Amino acid sequence: MTTMTSMSIDTRMKLFNRICAGVLIAFALLWLVPLAWAFDTAIKPNEETTKTTWWTDNPTFSAFSRIINETDIIRWFGSSLFIATLTAFGAVLTGSLAAFALSRMRFRYRNVVFWVVLAGIMVPSQVLIVPQFREMDSIGLLNTFWAVSLPQIPTAIAVFIFKQFFDGLPKELEEVARLDGASFLRIYARIIMPLARPAVAAVAIFTFVSSWNDLLWPLLVLSNPDNMTMPVGLATVQGTFGIRYADTMASALLGAVPLVAVFLLFQRNIVEGIAGSGLKG
Amino acid sequence: MTASQTALPTRQAIDDDPPPPRPRGQGLPAAGFLTPFLLLYVLFIAGPALYGLVMSFFDTSMVKPGLSGFAGFGNYAEALQSADFWSPLWHTIWFTILTTPPLIVLALVLALLADRVKHGRWFFRLAFFVPYVLPSAVVALIWMWLYTPGLGLIETALTKIGLTSPNWLGDPGWAMPSLAVTTLWWTLGFNFVLFLAGLQEVPRELYEASSMDGAGPWQQIRSITLPMLGRTLTLVAVLQVIASLKVFDQMYIMTSGGPNFATRSVLQYVYDSGFTNFRIGYASAVSMLFFLVVLAVSAVWFAIVRRQEKEV
Amino acid sequence: MALTRRALLGGTAAAAALGLAGCSGLTPGRDPGGTLSFWNLFGGGDGLRLTQMLDAYRAANRGVNLEAVTLAWGNPYYTKLSLATLGDKPPDVAVSHLTRAKTLISAGLLEELKPEDLARHGLDAANFTARPWEAGLVDGKAYAIPIDTHPFVMFYNTDICQKAGLLDTAGALLPLDTPEKFTEAMKKAKDVTKAYGGVVAIDNDVASPWRIYQSLYSQLGGETLADEGTKVVIDEARATQALSFLQGLTRDGLMPGSIDYQGAIATFANGQSGFYFQGEWEISTFQTAKLPFSMTSFPNIFGGGKYAVQADSHTLVIPKQPDQDQANLDRSLAFIRFLLDQSKTWAEGGHVPAWKPFLDSPEYKAMTPQSNYAAAADGAVYDPDGWYSGSGSNFEIVTSAAIGSVLAGRAAPAAAVAQMRSDLTSLAKTASPV
Repeated sequence: MTTMTSMSIDTRMKLFNRICAGVLIAFALLWLVPLAWAFDTAIKPNEETTKTTWWTDNPTFSAFSRIINETDIIRWFGSSLFIATLTAFGAVLTGSLAAFALSRMRFRYRNVVFWVVLAGIMVPSQVLIVPQFREMDSIGLLNTFWAVSLPQIPTAIAVFIFKQFFDGLPKELEEVARLDGASFLRIYARIIMPLARPAVAAVAIFTFVSSWNDLLWPLLVLSNPDNMTMPVGLATVQGTFGIRYADTMASALLGAVPLVAVFLLFQRNIVEGIAGSGLKG
Repeated sequence: MTASQTALPTRQAIDDDPPPPRPRGQGLPAAGFLTPFLLLYVLFIAGPALYGLVMSFFDTSMVKPGLSGFAGFGNYAEALQSADFWSPLWHTIWFTILTTPPLIVLALVLALLADRVKHGRWFFRLAFFVPYVLPSAVVALIWMWLYTPGLGLIETALTKIGLTSPNWLGDPGWAMPSLAVTTLWWTLGFNFVLFLAGLQEVPRELYEASSMDGAGPWQQIRSITLPMLGRTLTLVAVLQVIASLKVFDQMYIMTSGGPNFATRSVLQYVYDSGFTNFRIGYASAVSMLFFLVVLAVSAVWFAIVRRQEKEV
Repeated sequence: MALTRRALLGGTAAAAALGLAGCSGLTPGRDPGGTLSFWNLFGGGDGLRLTQMLDAYRAANRGVNLEAVTLAWGNPYYTKLSLATLGDKPPDVAVSHLTRAKTLISAGLLEELKPEDLARHGLDAANFTARPWEAGLVDGKAYAIPIDTHPFVMFYNTDICQKAGLLDTAGALLPLDTPEKFTEAMKKAKDVTKAYGGVVAIDNDVASPWRIYQSLYSQLGGETLADEGTKVVIDEARATQALSFLQGLTRDGLMPGSIDYQGAIATFANGQSGFYFQGEWEISTFQTAKLPFSMTSFPNIFGGGKYAVQADSHTLVIPKQPDQDQANLDRSLAFIRFLLDQSKTWAEGGHVPAWKPFLDSPEYKAMTPQSNYAAAADGAVYDPDGWYSGSGSNFEIVTSAAIGSVLAGRAAPAAAVAQMRSDLTSLAKTASPV
């Protein structure tokens, strides 16, 4: 192999990488167009939105303030925040407790329990909407945040993520504590959980995001505009805005802000979480 | 934790680490740890699943107490004989066909490209992944505006380059492809990130070695990258197919299943029969049939993964 | 009040979460003076007029916080209304099509309105036109207060009809009350427009084809369902006659055979057709377009001595309240009465008022073209009873699909009748869920 050919491969590589970057940038820009256009529309006065140009002489944020003042969007935001937080907290707590038992404790039927939980992954939550609705109706929980959150809390996938993580932690850590007579609860709370931050982050972020974005289930159980979640409110009450496109886009962008913020804050955890668990709603 | 590991969490998870057998007596604390999860699980997942199965054999009504009359397999027979069931099933499959290949191929290509770029990877992750974190309602509102006849950005752009634009969401033939494009924009980032992670697992030395052997970029991709990505690819494909089968939001908001039911998905059919027509017994039967379809897809996945494992 | 709550919620995220935890439906907090929630499904011109009416209510009732919500028309609206009522969080007052109220009533989702309560607000039966009032009764009990009747009507372009010689000396449309006269008029209008005589929406339309067919079929005396929708009783001969007549119009190019709702509006608004057939609510569209047009009853083509036309009514209903008390009920009924007293605003949107004090007033009689077709309300034929029937329902969807295929020339009338019969039979055989 001469220096000449290796040089030419190097240049070829460089050129190829340049082209790669070019194509990639083109796609990335294309991907940003819808959001940019939504923002562009939102800062135009409503009357100007029928002219399809990017430029406006009268940029204004009045559509945003109109949406905040005239619709229940702030309440929807509150509902979503409460429900998603409750769900994420519940999923982390119940999932890690169960995973701890499955990973660290010896008991009969351990495998049976494990397989039962596993079966839960196979059942798409959407298949259960009819009986779940009926159940919520009969126990009088319809139109409460509990009805939205409770069925989303026992997530089999959360148990898996935690179990996998716990299985990877060395046993020596807790054996000392066991010898000192520490209870399982103490080991869970003091030793295991503090080490499990990455798993907690992955489960919390994913249950939060999927709960926040869920449409079908809250659409069924929350029928009052007062307590709707953000997606349900945007999907059902959109008619109110009529053909005021700037307002519609402002409401869409306001609906987008919370999660984009979450994403920017936790970008690393989210991306690593996806790569690690292959989780999908 | 890698994507390929979770691809088959089950067998590993159980066989991996048999803790040293200890004397009995951990049953009680274990029950305590398991109770919160299992209680909610039984109350809100397993219980309803069983209830749904029972209900599917009755003429249960949303607005009447109890199960109402026993229907036997009547609900199932009705669904299987009715075009109202088969056409949403076909629409759902059509949607899956329209979305899955581009979502996999394009995401893979973009990830391959991004893997070669040394700087600004955060920007690409941002551009492709931000849509994925948006609620479906937000995505729908934005795209309905892009698709608006006469005023939408897409029609304007096409008109400018001399093309005529169909009524994207209003034409029964175009509505589903339009929803597919929206979905591509929305969820591409997820697969992109999965592939990018899979690519980073490929040992750099392999590339270096092949460069020394004089392999060009295309040869490297074919002989190193793609084979190494096999498992990630299967995982992405299955997750993608299952997610597509469960489609509801885009149709519900953007077309309400129209025009002329051309975009009604199975889940919307469940919604319509159960919650609009109050026939929750029948809707349960449709849900069960749908569950079987999803189960079948998952079974195919297991079969493929097993074969891949044997090959490795 | 809403503002302060919002300000509070806007404070911090934590405050928002806490504040909402408090009102998560566990304690909805109903203060009879306080909030009156009202759900409707009106968009477009109807929506604008309703907003005027609601603003008037707000101005006159400063103590009441009126929360009006507009939801998407058709099935999504009725689904939401049903689920909210089942979940014990219904609106205080809601709009319902008369033909949809029937199913809500049998499902036990609406409050019965007792005569003594109605009388306190002057809402006696005698104050309403007989047709919608009686059509809304179930076992003689009232549940739905009609605000209007909206018959299928005929819009006509006065310029085109003038040129076609279809107007009398006073400028009124000559009667088109036989198949021959009607077809002749379409031909003459077509000669003027060089495009079409008339237009009706067909493609992707879940209601318009049914509306025009049902008008003709009812004029022939045909019935579609019987025994609360458990039996299909389509009269083959009459249905075929109505369908053949319609197909003849599109076959001869007098009406377009493939056109959607917006396209039909555009065709008429652009002067490409002399006639347009639709519910009277489209009046606002053409007024806005400054089109020279007028409206009249859908012609009595087959009816002879007896007039019939497809119609529905908007009604105001009180969904079953978890904790209804006298004060709540009275506030809701007063609100209904307030809307009825603004029947003039509503009539400007084309609807024929059901509120007699206004309908019989000289003020209404002076409204044109509205009063031209007021009589059509007396011949109103509502969609047949059945749990799957009513405006925007499965029934209309199924029939419109079959009728649309005839109008488009894709199916022969007899085949479409067979299709309707088989589709409806499978619905009729399904045990009613209500």
